[in-house]
Amino acid sequence: MEEKDRKKHRKKHSGPKADKKRKRHLNDLGLGDDEDARKRNPKAFAVQSAVRMARTFHRTQDLKTKKHHIPVVDRTPLEPPPVVVVVVGPPKVGKSTLIKCLIRNFTRQKLIEIRGPVTIVSGKRRRLTIIECGCDINTMIDLAKIADLVLMLIDASFGFEMETFEFLNICQVHGFPKIMGVLTHLDSFKNNKQLKKTKKRLKHRFWTEVYPGAKLFYLSGMVHGEYQKQEIHNLGRFISVMKFRPLTWQTSHPYVLADRMEDLTNPEDVRVNPKCDRKVSIYGYLRGAYLKNQSQIHMPGVGDFTVSDVSFLPDPCALPEQQKKRSLNEKDKLIYAPLSGVGGVVYDKDAVYIDLGGSHAHQDEEEEVRPNRELVQSLISTHSTIDVKMASSKVSLFMDSKPLGSEDVENQEFVMPKEEKQIDLKTGRVRRKAVFEEENDNGASGEEEGQDEEMSEDEMDGSEDGDGDDEGESDKEVPGQDLGLRSAKRVKREETTEEAGMELPAFADSDDDLEMSSGEEGETDLDESKEEVEDHGDEEESDEKESSDKQRENHNLDHRLGKKVVPTTDSGNCTAEEASDSEAEGSSLEEEEEEGLNDDSEAEESDRKGIQSAPEKNVDGVEWAESKVVEDEDGGDDIENLLKEEEEYGEENDLSADTAGALKWKEDLTQKAAEAFLRQHQSAPNLRKLVYGTVAEDADEEDDAHEELGGLFHVSRPDKESKQKANALDCSKFPVETPQDWDLDEVMNSIRDCFVTGKWEADKDAAKLLKEDEELYGDFEDLETGAVHKGKPAGSEGEEEDKEGKEPKAEEEKNKRMDKKRKLKAMFDAEYDEGDATYFDDLKEEMQKQAQLNRAEFEDQDDESRVQYEGFRPGMYVRIEIENIPCEFVLNFDPHYPIILGGLGNSEGNVGYVQLRLKKHRWYKKILKTRDPIIFSLGWRRFQTIPMYYIEDHNGRHRLLKYSPQHMHCGATFWGPITPQGTGFLAIQSVSGTTPDFRIAATGVVLDLDKSITVVKKLKLTGFPFKIYKNTSFIKGMFNSPLEVAKFEGAAIRTVSGIRGQIKKALRKPEGAFRATFEDKLLMSDIVFMRTWYPVSIPAFYNPVTSLLKPAGEKDTWTGMKTTGQLRHELGIRLKQNKDSLYKPIVREKKHFNKLHIPKALQKALPFKNKPKNHEKKAKPTKDQWRPAVIREPHEKKISALLTALGTVHSYKIKKAKLNHRQHLKDYLKRKHKEEEEKFKRQKEAKKKLFRIMGQKEKKRQKSSLKGSREREK
Amino acid sequence: MASQPHSLSYVGCNFLRQRLVLSTLSGRPVKIRKIRAKEENPGLRDFEASFIRLIDKVTNGSRIEINQTGTTLYYQPGLLYGGVLEHDCSPHRSIGYYLESLLCLAPFMKHPLKIVLRGVTNDQVDPSVDVLKATALPLLKKFGIDGEGFELKITRRGMPPKGGGEVTFACPVRKVLQPIQSTDPGKIKRIRGTAYSVRVSPQIANRIVDSARSILNKFIPDIYIYTDHMKGTSSGKSPGFGLSLVAETTNGTFLGAELASNPQGQGTAVLPEELGLNCAKLLLEEIYRGGCVDSTNQSLVLLLMTLGQQDVSKVLLGPLSPYTIEFLRHLRSFFQIMFKIETKPSHEELQGGEKVLMTCVGIGFSNLSKTIK
Repeated sequence: MEEKDRKKHRKKHSGPKADKKRKRHLNDLGLGDDEDARKRNPKAFAVQSAVRMARTFHRTQDLKTKKHHIPVVDRTPLEPPPVVVVVVGPPKVGKSTLIKCLIRNFTRQKLIEIRGPVTIVSGKRRRLTIIECGCDINTMIDLAKIADLVLMLIDASFGFEMETFEFLNICQVHGFPKIMGVLTHLDSFKNNKQLKKTKKRLKHRFWTEVYPGAKLFYLSGMVHGEYQKQEIHNLGRFISVMKFRPLTWQTSHPYVLADRMEDLTNPEDVRVNPKCDRKVSIYGYLRGAYLKNQSQIHMPGVGDFTVSDVSFLPDPCALPEQQKKRSLNEKDKLIYAPLSGVGGVVYDKDAVYIDLGGSHAHQDEEEEVRPNRELVQSLISTHSTIDVKMASSKVSLFMDSKPLGSEDVENQEFVMPKEEKQIDLKTGRVRRKAVFEEENDNGASGEEEGQDEEMSEDEMDGSEDGDGDDEGESDKEVPGQDLGLRSAKRVKREETTEEAGMELPAFADSDDDLEMSSGEEGETDLDESKEEVEDHGDEEESDEKESSDKQRENHNLDHRLGKKVVPTTDSGNCTAEEASDSEAEGSSLEEEEEEGLNDDSEAEESDRKGIQSAPEKNVDGVEWAESKVVEDEDGGDDIENLLKEEEEYGEENDLSADTAGALKWKEDLTQKAAEAFLRQHQSAPNLRKLVYGTVAEDADEEDDAHEELGGLFHVSRPDKESKQKANALDCSKFPVETPQDWDLDEVMNSIRDCFVTGKWEADKDAAKLLKEDEELYGDFEDLETGAVHKGKPAGSEGEEEDKEGKEPKAEEEKNKRMDKKRKLKAMFDAEYDEGDATYFDDLKEEMQKQAQLNRAEFEDQDDESRVQYEGFRPGMYVRIEIENIPCEFVLNFDPHYPIILGGLGNSEGNVGYVQLRLKKHRWYKKILKTRDPIIFSLGWRRFQTIPMYYIEDHNGRHRLLKYSPQHMHCGATFWGPITPQGTGFLAIQSVSGTTPDFRIAATGVVLDLDKSITVVKKLKLTGFPFKIYKNTSFIKGMFNSPLEVAKFEGAAIRTVSGIRGQIKKALRKPEGAFRATFEDKLLMSDIVFMRTWYPVSIPAFYNPVTSLLKPAGEKDTWTGMKTTGQLRHELGIRLKQNKDSLYKPIVREKKHFNKLHIPKALQKALPFKNKPKNHEKKAKPTKDQWRPAVIREPHEKKISALLTALGTVHSYKIKKAKLNHRQHLKDYLKRKHKEEEEKFKRQKEAKKKLFRIMGQKEKKRQKSSLKGSREREK
Repeated sequence: MASQPHSLSYVGCNFLRQRLVLSTLSGRPVKIRKIRAKEENPGLRDFEASFIRLIDKVTNGSRIEINQTGTTLYYQPGLLYGGVLEHDCSPHRSIGYYLESLLCLAPFMKHPLKIVLRGVTNDQVDPSVDVLKATALPLLKKFGIDGEGFELKITRRGMPPKGGGEVTFACPVRKVLQPIQSTDPGKIKRIRGTAYSVRVSPQIANRIVDSARSILNKFIPDIYIYTDHMKGTSSGKSPGFGLSLVAETTNGTFLGAELASNPQGQGTAVLPEELGLNCAKLLLEEIYRGGCVDSTNQSLVLLLMTLGQQDVSKVLLGPLSPYTIEFLRHLRSFFQIMFKIETKPSHEELQGGEKVLMTCVGIGFSNLSKTIK
């Protein structure tokens, strides 16, 4: 027993000792210390067979090329969007806990409840958007399409669940993202062995589903309701270094996973009709491909929409600035999750939010309404005019502060919110509850917050997170302003605009104030702005005053901003569209004024700085503000005020311009110079303007929309028709307007260099290149003769230059030398490296080059112009406005369900017939029936449609199938959205409810898109003969009119018995009867039929699954069209079966065949073999032939019995003797064989002996003979 | 239901081809109103109707609605189908008018297009088949549209006013296009041309050649102008003659120019010598304009760049023609694509006029019609 337990000795295979041993062993073998067999014994590795060598070579090459993928251009942006990490798993498996732990691991923050995506900075170059995927199949489908990484949680104590497999199958169809399994609930195993076994089993199953070797993580147990820190840390490390491969669908379509949603609908419209279509803005990181403005998008679960506006915003969760440190600063560990209520300050296009609450603020519960959001809230949900709203709206500046009303601002008094400490009964923590006076009068005294991290959910709504607040505060503190709310950055920009455009931004602001505030306030503001304008007039005189004014202005500005919080001034993020709009409007509306402004601002600019920077831009900004004002149609009466003010403003402006011109005549000079400079610079934009700028908007209906603004303004645009000659000749030729005189020498010379005979560029001129090469290779030493040949020294002329020119000369020389070196290196490379570059390498390099070009082309441009050319690039944080969204989307908004905006390519918004290759899933228990509605997930979409299954016959015909085949691919056609070929899809019968069975019914791929279909089904027309001639018959009952017959003349027909024939011609008398010929005579009982193919029409039924529009909590109950089977089941209608279709026992009548009768004459003629052999019946045996039975006497009986007995005994004896004899023989043979063997052995021995002796003798003889020969030699 | 992509609306019959072609490629319906509404003879002309018919032939499932007077046209595009087709073009415009649009559409069909076009091969208005063959086809090759089934064959020549010419155009289909970077036109290394004459004295072609050479020889010696005299059935129904010239550069750029005689019974007779001289001068003008693509094919190259992968494409052009400018605007409204336009002032070197560098990022267009097996 003990011996068995002892461990076996294991030999060492590595280490110095093992090496020594090996060496000794080799030495023993006499091989020396050359370990490499190839070197030691080269012969053994020489080429044995050329054929085999070729084969092995081919094989290695095959294996090598098999690994290649078609190289694609790397289109990942420089600053990629956050990686989407989807956490999937069945319920109660620990998804939320894992997310919380991960967030805590990366950001040191603890979120209480997670709703929607959470974006965090996980490393210097990586951000993560973590989102939880519920078990609703709609969510699973949507998230599988956008996931970069899937964390698949598996309850180890339970094993795999259907959800896991369903999700894996969804992933397989829509492009396979990286999948990492995470086993949880491992602490429930008490037995270590069982745990090990389970781990192994689950791992192998996981590997078969994903790929062998897929990473599976084990989370062993919980500590205080969280996973173990080290394990989560490791998981985080894995996530943050993971590499992703691009997926086709994702890289070719832009998409946004929304992390915020706002309702922008005009509250008046909502008041009038609460069910009106909404205008919504959605925020999120753009991923995938470039997004263009005005492009089509699809929101899974909602429908198709056109983007009405896109703009990009500063990144709310930006990657840290480049730093040398390896790890992140604590400050850079940002987290952004507006739907969960984390985020800090948010800059919008038209507002600044300091709120942490998500955009789900529109939920109807009153207690959900947070004071922070109240301003926006009130703007949205109340049903009164804007003035009243503004007066009553409140906002709190700091968290936990009492919201400010408009009247509060005057008093400048703060009422701190009361806090209430509550001790959580469960955890014993001290919790603080912010109580506001409106809600609750019994609040305690104010107190600054300490540990906001541990706020409960309801508190989160009311106040913001501690960390976020700290950041916000640092931003908010504008010097000298206790009320300043904007970030420093924002203020700075304001300043710059003011420097440039002086009075303009203030004006814009004042407008907004006017518009938004009550009448009383409006007046004060108006005064203010007037003051400002005057101030600017003064400013031009002294710089000191200017600065002070500016400061004051800032004060004013900020003051007002403080009051309003929602400034609607320029945010700098105006989109391309708007910019062009404003340009266009500017040109048409108030060109003169603009010019005046322009001059003025330019003059100031040049005076102050001496450098003309960008007056254009300023003006644009101003105009934009103006147009914005004009566009605002909310307050009709306010606009009048506005208009008045605008006029005044204009006057002021002119005045100031005049004075400026009068006072500083010198300015004109610089200005002119600047203008000239500008003109020169703007030649390119001019062409751009010519093409894109001055043209009115592309679509006319848009023009119509802008035609009247607020019923007051009429936009007059330059008449399009007059410009473009709408009805001119359509010709692509570009005729020469002013032909040059090509006989003149100067003119001819102008294109001299376009020809090969002309002068070449320096780097291509053959003569020059030759010369350079000479310089390069000039120096060489002739080894044979020893003579040194020297090339012309390259910089010989340079040395003669005087000393001032020496330094640049040296520089030049250096460059030249570098050039030379580079050239030499390139040559060397070309000679040695490029030799074995394969086609694949070339292709890869080409792609690389393209990728580089893509990156470099627009790199140097600012984002605004870049966006115009490329569209919004992935990685940007964008705000997308969408109109005409069903109100249910807003009303039933649930942040737990992901909102995805998937961009659609060209004509992907259209519908048509789509042909698929489809296979029923092997785990789905039923088969699919043609014309049963089914839900497809294809592209971004989920929709219900009615497919028709078909199979392709050998001649290419698409034959309709009633049911999908069991284990085979078949075709399917449906009417639905056009999606590019090669896109994968899956089908499910229903998205509502849960079933224990596997839900994915079929998978496949799109093959073809068309506007018509070619599916046919078989149609047999039958007829009956009513008159039969020899081979001709008249058939009736197949057609109804001679016309129909005429259409089918010449068609092949057949009888059931297999006689083939052809339709000839219609008969006159019975309508639809015809004459037909057959290869044989028919019987009257024959049925004639014709096989035809009838094209099937597909019902144009396309019904998007609008699961997101369902009320909260019912989002997984979407049901569309029901199948007839379902309806029948529900309504209890039994199917009436056709009696003929029922199976009955087959009763076959016994067939009687008549006797074969051969005529006598024929019988005679037949050969004997075939003649019927009519044998005469044999007569009965006669009496003499018939033998009677013998009956024995008793005595005779006895005798015969004895004889039989004797016979038996005898036969037994003989048998025994035979057996004995056989045994003997066997023994004898055995013995003999043995003896024989022995004898043989002996003989062999003897022979051996003999031969040995003989051999020795022979040897001796030989030796002696050798000796003899040697002796003979001697 | 899927919301129909909002349609675009235009006024007037100008740029009809562009609009229909772009509508077909982008899948957005287009509505054109007020077609010659104020003219004496309102509505669509014969050649436009013929063009619409051609579009209908090459597509499947398009809906075309024209009102009673022909002043309003609504076009809802189907999918491009292709296949073997024939089309009788209206003799009012030359085949080039139709072919230019087919060049844009042909690579994106379901089945490779093989079409026989009958009508006027050369006239004074539109780019002739010869020039398109010499300039547009090599251009398409740069985008990866190449292969055996890519050819343009002139089987018969037909001159206005009666026509009678015949052209076979075949083009393979592609799923995606390659991006191009052609910013260096290179230097002109040779000039080729065709002097054709139908139903006139064959000597006329020789006279044209001589006069054209007299000018071009001052620049480059490598000139060869083929004389093409068509006889019998292949000579169409009307007499006429003309010259088309193409300059080829070292980098594979083709610049073309052409001139045709006045149609029979219209205008004064043109001397062949004069025509040769003028055509040569037109070629020089074209060379002066320069660029990597000649002025007639500007819009084609811009379209193919737009329809490329999501990569940067660059091309150097001569001054933009009005047709191209309008085309750029249309591209923006149909595809939301804007080109970066940079003017490259001519250097001190004697290389002709100002050039324009056009840059864009393709929209990642893929052929939705092509079947995969």
